[in-house]
Amino acid sequence: MTETTSNENGEILIRTCGLCKTYRDGAVTALSDVNLTIYRGEYVAIMGRSGSGKSTLLNLLGALDQPTSGEVFFEGQSLSRMPDLDRFRAEKLGFVFQSFHLLPTLTALENVQIPMFESRLPRARRVAKARELLAAVGMSERETHLPSRLSVGERQRVAIARALANDPVVLLADEPTGNLDSRTGSAVLDLFDRLHRERGMTLVVITHGQDVAERAQRIIRIKDGRLVDAGVYDSQVLQKS
Amino acid sequence: MRFSTLIWHNLLRRRLRSALTSVGVGVAIMAVAALLAISRGFEESMAGAYESRGIDLVVVRAGVAERLTSSLDQRLADRLRKLPFVEDVVLELRDQASLGDSALVGTPLLGWEVNSQLYESLTFTSGRPLKKSDRHAVLLGEALAERLGKQVGDTVELLLQEFRVVGIFTSRNRFENLTAVVQLQELQELMDRPGQVTSFQLKVRDSAHKSLDVEAVRAAIESLTDRQGRKLGLLAQPTRRFVTSTLQIRIAHAMAWVTSAIALVIGAIGILNTMIMSVLERTREIGVLRAIGWRKSRVVRMILSESLALSVAGAVVGVVSAATLVKVLSSTHRAGAFLTQEIPAAVVGRAMLMSIVLGLVGGLYPALRAAALRPTEALRHD
Repeated sequence: MTETTSNENGEILIRTCGLCKTYRDGAVTALSDVNLTIYRGEYVAIMGRSGSGKSTLLNLLGALDQPTSGEVFFEGQSLSRMPDLDRFRAEKLGFVFQSFHLLPTLTALENVQIPMFESRLPRARRVAKARELLAAVGMSERETHLPSRLSVGERQRVAIARALANDPVVLLADEPTGNLDSRTGSAVLDLFDRLHRERGMTLVVITHGQDVAERAQRIIRIKDGRLVDAGVYDSQVLQKS
Repeated sequence: MRFSTLIWHNLLRRRLRSALTSVGVGVAIMAVAALLAISRGFEESMAGAYESRGIDLVVVRAGVAERLTSSLDQRLADRLRKLPFVEDVVLELRDQASLGDSALVGTPLLGWEVNSQLYESLTFTSGRPLKKSDRHAVLLGEALAERLGKQVGDTVELLLQEFRVVGIFTSRNRFENLTAVVQLQELQELMDRPGQVTSFQLKVRDSAHKSLDVEAVRAAIESLTDRQGRKLGLLAQPTRRFVTSTLQIRIAHAMAWVTSAIALVIGAIGILNTMIMSVLERTREIGVLRAIGWRKSRVVRMILSESLALSVAGAVVGVVSAATLVKVLSSTHRAGAFLTQEIPAAVVGRAMLMSIVLGLVGGLYPALRAAALRPTEALRHD
């Protein structure tokens, strides 16, 4: 199933249509009738309290889970009809987790190469690209360090470099500053700003913090599994940034 | 970073556990390699002795389970000698008895004719072969002589009769190093088996088409009949096939395989346990790998590669240990008489192949389980 991929506001990257997710045979409703549009190059924050369903929404947008009903369209294509979701995630998406989830036995440079195993890049090119990405997040000096020898802020930078490994179309970040103090959290958000500004990358950030959400162009608010405010898309903001 | 580097890092994460798992596999492979080498050594030793004597066919009574119970009329030798292509027929009577008051119950006794070609595979370390004029004379295999503490000139008691040791020998057939040889007629009298032999060993004349000639002789022997036209019930087998069909060799092989199978099952359970633990501990990591786009097949490859690495490392340890064990055992008096000193390349190859099967079997379930993890659930795992 495909659909139109642009409207008067620009090119639609992700659109959800009547998205619902329930658990335990319908006893728990995590998301209910969520209709949402995210444009290419947009920096969006999805905000809500704990248990509001925002992480469930991110999982559905990231093809990590299937909706109970409804559809997610990515570049006009239905995820439910996509033949290879692993490949889709590897090629189109970059994930940043609250707890970083770096492999503890690998150095920063090796961690960044992990997603590239699916891209069939030759080893030398993989290493060179991982170095470039670590340089881009200011971690060149730490490339041989294990995660245990990095500060939490540095670990998140490495995780962001890993998320960028396969040149994703969109970066999905789940509470990326949740485990960071305000200074390092701010540095990570500066990095997101830079990625958005310099690479025109689409960013979808899940947060419960107003200060984090305010860095985005648009704030989508979610409460009890329902979209309560989809925010206003302003292409001018995109152009200004 | 190579994919193998990731495997290596994962194995080093729990060094002691990985090492112990490999050692467990190593013990299993050592048992497999050592037992296979020993049983193969038996077979090679026995076959080598026949081949060194130039024996092409061994004739026994058809249908007997154990060749000691084979009983043939020695006058048949004349009929066999008259068959086309047959160069010579050697007679042998085998039986067993306890030697005097020693603890050696069931010592194999061989009855050979004085001028038998069977002596050609013996090397005398002291004394001489049997002579026609000898009465109650015996030759002892070196290992048997050592166990009995006998030398040339001493006497041994065979079924309550005194026999004088006139020679001590080593044989290409390691089994024969634990045997005693007496004249055919004396053994027939001793065992109350007059005119009987257990086997005829035939040499076929050399020719350009000898294998065809051997087959023709074999067929002719098996179709021999008595005066009433009834088949004599003889079984003629090429030496190699005869050796592999003997009860001792079949038991040795069966024991080796059964013990190996048990060891391998234990080894596979060890790997299975380690890999299940490893997958359980890394559930969240595997969830991350799946989330960032790793296919299920790559996760399977990762876990299987880890279990294969453990089992192949174990196989290397096992083969080296088995080689050392066999060497040490073969240098001892008790086992050295019938043990090979080296592990054949084919056994090493088989052990390595088994380790690969072991790794795949032990790693398959954990690998499939890891690949089946749903990223969202795995990421929530504590």
